[in-house]
Amino acid sequence: MSLLEIKDLSVEFSSGENAVKAVSHVFFKVREGETLGIIGESGSGKSVIGLALLRLLPANANVSGTVFFQGQDLFSLRPSELRKIRGKRISLMPQNPAGALNPVLKNRLQIEEVFEERGIDKKEGMKKSLRLMKKLLLRDPEKLCDLYPHQLSGGMRQRLIACMSLSFEPELVIADEPTKGLDPEAKERAVELFTKIKHDYGKTMLLITHDLDLALEVCDRIAVMYAGEIVELDKASKVLNAPSHPYTKGLVRAQPRNGLVPLSGQSPSRISLPEGCFFHERCRYSSIECFRKHPEMKNHNGGWIRCHFQSFQ
Amino acid sequence: MSLPILSVNELAMSFGTLEVFRNVSFSVDRGETLGLFGKSGSGKTTIGKCIVGLERPTGGEIRVQGANILDMGKKEFRKLRPKIQIIFQHPETSLDPRMKAFENLIEPLKLHSGLKQDALLKRGEELAELTGLRPEHLARYPIQLSGGEIQRIVLARIMALSPDFIVADEPTSMLDVSVQAQILRLMQKLQRETGVSYLLISHDLEVLRKVCHRIAYLDNGTITSIENIKRDVKR
Repeated sequence: MSLLEIKDLSVEFSSGENAVKAVSHVFFKVREGETLGIIGESGSGKSVIGLALLRLLPANANVSGTVFFQGQDLFSLRPSELRKIRGKRISLMPQNPAGALNPVLKNRLQIEEVFEERGIDKKEGMKKSLRLMKKLLLRDPEKLCDLYPHQLSGGMRQRLIACMSLSFEPELVIADEPTKGLDPEAKERAVELFTKIKHDYGKTMLLITHDLDLALEVCDRIAVMYAGEIVELDKASKVLNAPSHPYTKGLVRAQPRNGLVPLSGQSPSRISLPEGCFFHERCRYSSIECFRKHPEMKNHNGGWIRCHFQSFQ
Repeated sequence: MSLPILSVNELAMSFGTLEVFRNVSFSVDRGETLGLFGKSGSGKTTIGKCIVGLERPTGGEIRVQGANILDMGKKEFRKLRPKIQIIFQHPETSLDPRMKAFENLIEPLKLHSGLKQDALLKRGEELAELTGLRPEHLARYPIQLSGGEIQRIVLARIMALSPDFIVADEPTSMLDVSVQAQILRLMQKLQRETGVSYLLISHDLEVLRKVCHRIAYLDNGTITSIENIKRDVKR
């Protein structure tokens, strides 16, 4: 059974008279123990999906569709029921660890707060956290607890956040852009960290990232997002080593080692999306059909793709 | 042989008793991109800040077309300053949040060019076009722009002053892979068109190898080697 199942998820943000379509008709399942990566450029709607699952979006967000977590519909839960799931059974490692920690509180207090909130003895919780911190590659955790967040490096802050989010042994971890702005050494350690969380703790993860190397190392399957919809979904190695969708091909070619070839143009406005395929204006393979008709998701060699491109028909 | 646009000789910097780097020497020719590679905390950013006068080194010299900027008076340096520019790592803090993108873009022109209002607006539009910005971007506040769009505004602002030399401090580390390629290719295009030189500071060796003519390696507080990547510097 799938641990998480998302059906026809759409998110619109109303701003004045206009509505910004952040996510359009997204479907996917995450099996137990699986790591599903969501990749795509900034503004493609990756993070919005993560926040929508936990109903953490601002009030002007109009969310439709259903999200089943172990068969339970998250969107129909009462706030009190949802609070029992948030942080405990599904936890979020937010983007930008520096912004997620309170700059004026020492790290210890922030770790304790996690337990206090749930009515668990602080000392017991702290003991558990220290063990976890040691396991998650943090040296000298006792000393680290007596420091402020700004005294830690980006990589250490990220591991601290990882510890806090694993405190209650959640069944699903949502990690949002965990390697943004980290240097290569810290990135390597992040790969190590996520591999550990996956293998040693057997966690199911939703890894939202634009770091293609991290996605390839850690994810089992990858969903590629463009302009709010999934355009390709398949095994990680297939998506990144032999991409099918022209957009994924473009992303891979933009990596320095693959030529640093930029995709031409920019993502479409999300207030008035183009007719036909959302990617056709930037696509080197586009034909008349791409201008006219919006492509549906199609099964393609065991994966899914949203493209009219001749060879897939 | 013409003078290098920038030469840094035996530069040293300490904060109190903490020595950040010493004996750092390199030069950059006109139209060249020199990469500066080093780990986090190795002092790369501090070197960049010294070059544009935002930090004062504790020793050594920084020569811009032969003249040591550390010997210059404030007035003299201020005259030179438009010609040496810097792009910062974090796009979100690079612009004035209270000004719209276009106002941010033309601010340096207002201060330095002496152009009249009409000419100023026209030049602003030219610069926006040069850096691939669309009119709808220009009417937005920085908070409404993506990281890549802000870096384009930053580049347009910088190009307004026709600089000879730009320190680019991790200009793409906060950007995603496709936008990174766009910005680096844009920087290369501007270099071909204007002959501007770059010191590209990065911890991403793959990026440096792809776009630099030479790479200087900073390790343990000093430059350990300089590697040639592309032979000829095209003007």
